[in-house]
Amino acid sequence: MKRLYTLFKTEMILSVREFSGVLFGLIMPVGIMFLLGALNGEKPAFDGASYTMVQQSFAAVSTIGICATGLMGIPLTIASYREKKILKHFKVTPTSPLLLLGAQFLTNLVFAILSTALVLIAALLFFDYSLIGSPLYFILAYFLVLTAIFSLGMMIASVSVNVKTANLLCTIFYFPMLFLSGATIPFEIMPKGLQVVSSIMPLTQGIKLLKYVSLDSGGGDWIKPVLILSLTALLGIIISIKTFRWE
Amino acid sequence: MKNTSKILLSVHALNKSYKELQAVDNLSFQIMEGEIFGLLGPNGAGKSTTIECLLGTREIDSGEVVLLDNTIANNSRNIFENVGVQFQDSHYPDLIKVGELCRMTAVLYKSTEDYKDLLKQFSIEKKEKKRVSELSGGEKQKLSLVLALINKPQIVFLDELTTGLDPKARRDVWSYLKLLKQKGMTIFLTSHYMDEVRYLCDRIMIINNGKEVIEGKPEIVITESGKETMEDAYLHFIGEGENNETLVHTV
Repeated sequence: MKRLYTLFKTEMILSVREFSGVLFGLIMPVGIMFLLGALNGEKPAFDGASYTMVQQSFAAVSTIGICATGLMGIPLTIASYREKKILKHFKVTPTSPLLLLGAQFLTNLVFAILSTALVLIAALLFFDYSLIGSPLYFILAYFLVLTAIFSLGMMIASVSVNVKTANLLCTIFYFPMLFLSGATIPFEIMPKGLQVVSSIMPLTQGIKLLKYVSLDSGGGDWIKPVLILSLTALLGIIISIKTFRWE
Repeated sequence: MKNTSKILLSVHALNKSYKELQAVDNLSFQIMEGEIFGLLGPNGAGKSTTIECLLGTREIDSGEVVLLDNTIANNSRNIFENVGVQFQDSHYPDLIKVGELCRMTAVLYKSTEDYKDLLKQFSIEKKEKKRVSELSGGEKQKLSLVLALINKPQIVFLDELTTGLDPKARRDVWSYLKLLKQKGMTIFLTSHYMDEVRYLCDRIMIINNGKEVIEGKPEIVITESGKETMEDAYLHFIGEGENNETLVHTV
């Protein structure tokens, strides 16, 4: 435990020092929450809606941190640790490189949760937010989304030969998902065609699920997203384990 | 070498190939406790691959490697508590500071040296709060040596530790290695500098195309070659000696 804690602490310090994780994972989501809230946050989401714009958007904004950590932090760090032969060096110590991967996961997990917590606090304090649905279901759904996105990130880390490829793949996954899945721009205001494209992205399904749970929408709309997210997580994990190399 | 010395590393008929290339070809040797052993050979001769096979970071095709009375497959945990490694061109996480890196490395082992003492021994204690990326080449190599020694290893593997260092830094590293030897440390090294090899090594093995060319004490290897210096002997044994002489003569 002491080992994991020391590595985790070092990884945390390095992440904060590196700052892009803080910017994209913590500051940006809170900023977007303030932006959405300030625009027309406390008004009903649409004419006759029983919930506010902020209530509608909260689910989406809560996933930005997951994206920044899962699709940027994890793959880029692991690819760079592999390229720098740091993982290989762990193989000639009494511990396993898995310990370093574990610390890396933990760091990103903490960042993602912190990000959502900050978004939640901003929404609660400034925009009169309340979660309509069950907090327990929301947490369960949140961790399913997190698992799916992290496993995608791990998959990128595994299949990338070097940091350059990882960078490219991260960009291909991260930006479209960030902008088209509804995390930053509400899904509801997108043109129909774009909504169709967007629907194939795992994050879109994740946001759908979180929205469903947070607004307590009723009906069976949760089944499809849960299946797609579980499948994404499963495929991501299988592909990353099959293709992973220490160097 | 006293006969009572313990064998720390024993390699028997080691083979490793990449596709068509036979990188390590039937190598056998032993390293005794307290010895500095040098593995020499031109670039691509198979030195780094040999080290990686010894340490288990590359799977061997056939042969046997017994390190500290164990095989990596059976007991890597115990072995690596007592082995220090410096890989060629070591890299570290971006933005990490010297002290952070030392603490992060030390925590991986059960029993460790105080890293501050080690930094002091290598006269880089003032760099503790500096980022690793800000260190000079010599300081970085000293740091990689500190990290390799942090677990008080019985044997340390150094792959081209002094490559790229200026003469002063190289001499500094030499004296640290001599000091370590006096303290009873066993050292396995690879190097391209024959003055260094002559000065440091108790025993050397020259390999070419993965095969052993000659093995023995440096002075014996020189005598065998019929040359005057370690460098000429080395060139003789890797088959470049005659060409080189012609070149020198024409100049």
